[in-house]
Amino acid sequence: MATLPQPRAEPAAVAAPAVLEARGVYKIFVSGRPRRAITALRDISLEVRAGEFLALIGPSGCGKSTLLNMFAGLVTPTDGLVLHDGRPVRGVNTRVGYVTQDDNLLPWRTALANVEIALELKGVPPAERRARAVAGLARVGLRGFEHHYPHELSGGMRKRVSIVRTIVDESVNVVLMDEPFGPLDAQTRLVLQDELLQLWQGSGRTVVFVTHDLVEAIALADRIAIFTRAPGTIKAVRPVPIPRPRDVFHIHEAPGFATIYDAIWEDLREEITGRRPRGGDG
Amino acid sequence: MAEGVLHPGWERAMPREAVLAQEEVHRVARGEQRETLLVLLWQAGLLAALLLGWGLASGRVLDRLFLSDPLAVGRAFWRVLLDGTLWFHLRFTLLETLLGYVGGAAAGLGAAGLVVLVPGLEPLLRPFVVVAYAVPKVALAPLMILWFGIGVLPKVLLAGTFVAFLVFLNTLAGAAGVSPDLVAVVRVMGASRLAVLRRVVLPAATPFVLAALRLAIPAALIGAIVGEFISSNRGVGYLINAASSRYRTAEVFAGIFGLLLVVLAMNAAVSALERRALRWVPRGRDPLGVR
Repeated sequence: MATLPQPRAEPAAVAAPAVLEARGVYKIFVSGRPRRAITALRDISLEVRAGEFLALIGPSGCGKSTLLNMFAGLVTPTDGLVLHDGRPVRGVNTRVGYVTQDDNLLPWRTALANVEIALELKGVPPAERRARAVAGLARVGLRGFEHHYPHELSGGMRKRVSIVRTIVDESVNVVLMDEPFGPLDAQTRLVLQDELLQLWQGSGRTVVFVTHDLVEAIALADRIAIFTRAPGTIKAVRPVPIPRPRDVFHIHEAPGFATIYDAIWEDLREEITGRRPRGGDG
Repeated sequence: MAEGVLHPGWERAMPREAVLAQEEVHRVARGEQRETLLVLLWQAGLLAALLLGWGLASGRVLDRLFLSDPLAVGRAFWRVLLDGTLWFHLRFTLLETLLGYVGGAAAGLGAAGLVVLVPGLEPLLRPFVVVAYAVPKVALAPLMILWFGIGVLPKVLLAGTFVAFLVFLNTLAGAAGVSPDLVAVVRVMGASRLAVLRRVVLPAATPFVLAALRLAIPAALIGAIVGEFISSNRGVGYLINAASSRYRTAEVFAGIFGLLLVVLAMNAAVSALERRALRWVPRGRDPLGVR
């Protein structure tokens, strides 16, 4: 199949200021009896640029979700600094949106009320929050399902509701996503990746997206930060030179896909298998 | 979901398919109605068999003096109903039960909310709660009467104590089951601890609270009746006590029958509350069946 004609993309947020930043971050967890200290993150320094789509990838247990939880203010670093818009994150960070692997909808609220809760908590008046929630659900094709309870929706629909709930709040300029499409089937995953890109493009928002799926990271991200296995450090940050708008359904055929895939796979393989990569690059 | 209603999207289906779907919806609804009717018939049959067995056993297997029989109980019930005796006594029992029930439920729920809200309070109070729960609360009845006299108040407090513990412990169990991820997501959306309690923890605990409210109905009644047994000059507990001391078995059963009506009415109220509050819970039927 021929590659689709792609417009030239602007270089991905080259000199944009950092919206999120980790500086020399360590996280040591203590657990069990007798007590054992386990290093989850070791000396992480990372800048997330305003408006970019950054993927975090690495073997399971490498601490990428811990870093995400630090940006959300749910985990405090043992040492180092975590900054949002240049200010240290103290306590729960309510200026980010957080989409987890489970959809984490409130089962006693309808789809509409689940979207509304984000606005309710920020004190948006009822009529306005209803209108914005209805419009948000319509954007992801859920018109007609406003009054369905989560158990009456499919996995993909629930995930759409949970994404809309996050972005409907305009005070949120960063969306943190922790393997959001992990539990979905392969086809629904692709459709949702495509919808996510459409929602993000032109929104001006920053996305930090944790995944263990290399193809997903390449299809979505401007840059990919590759973690080592535990204790996690950042091994490399690689830009994805595939122009936008991207066709996630045919991302394999995009120019440059094979090169970036091979490069990151070489980074990752050593971390996953523990073997040195073949060849000499790195 | 209301009966006979199709999901959105069906209006786009082929006409034949939409007709088939509508028929299928009606067929399922009819099947459910039939099943409900069948269950009702069986229940009526079972009740009739019980009453018949009672009538046959009376005077043959056991002395009529101790067992009475359904007809005599019916007549006694009718008599105490018509001459106002039952209503006079039931009024006090009902008042004690309802005040104890509502007050105890509110206290239990409020205490559970406070324990969830204040960090560190739960481990602090745990040993005290365990001990207080383990004490047979019936043993408190003489104390209550000593402190508060023989009026309505000691019975309300006794009933309330039973109810409060059930609601308190069940609400805490429900709150403990809330997913930490769900709480984290809602905190990031800007919820305070109080907002998380109100919008996440209490709704998540609703099935537990309702289960406790159901268990608490007989508990509240036991509190009121035991209080009346020990010391009072009115209430159904007094009526039963007085009748049994005079070997008027039919009247005892008539009193019990009056209590039964109270339990049924309160059960119906909790069921109505449950239907309203638990619309979001997917309905399962046979826990071991295939569906």
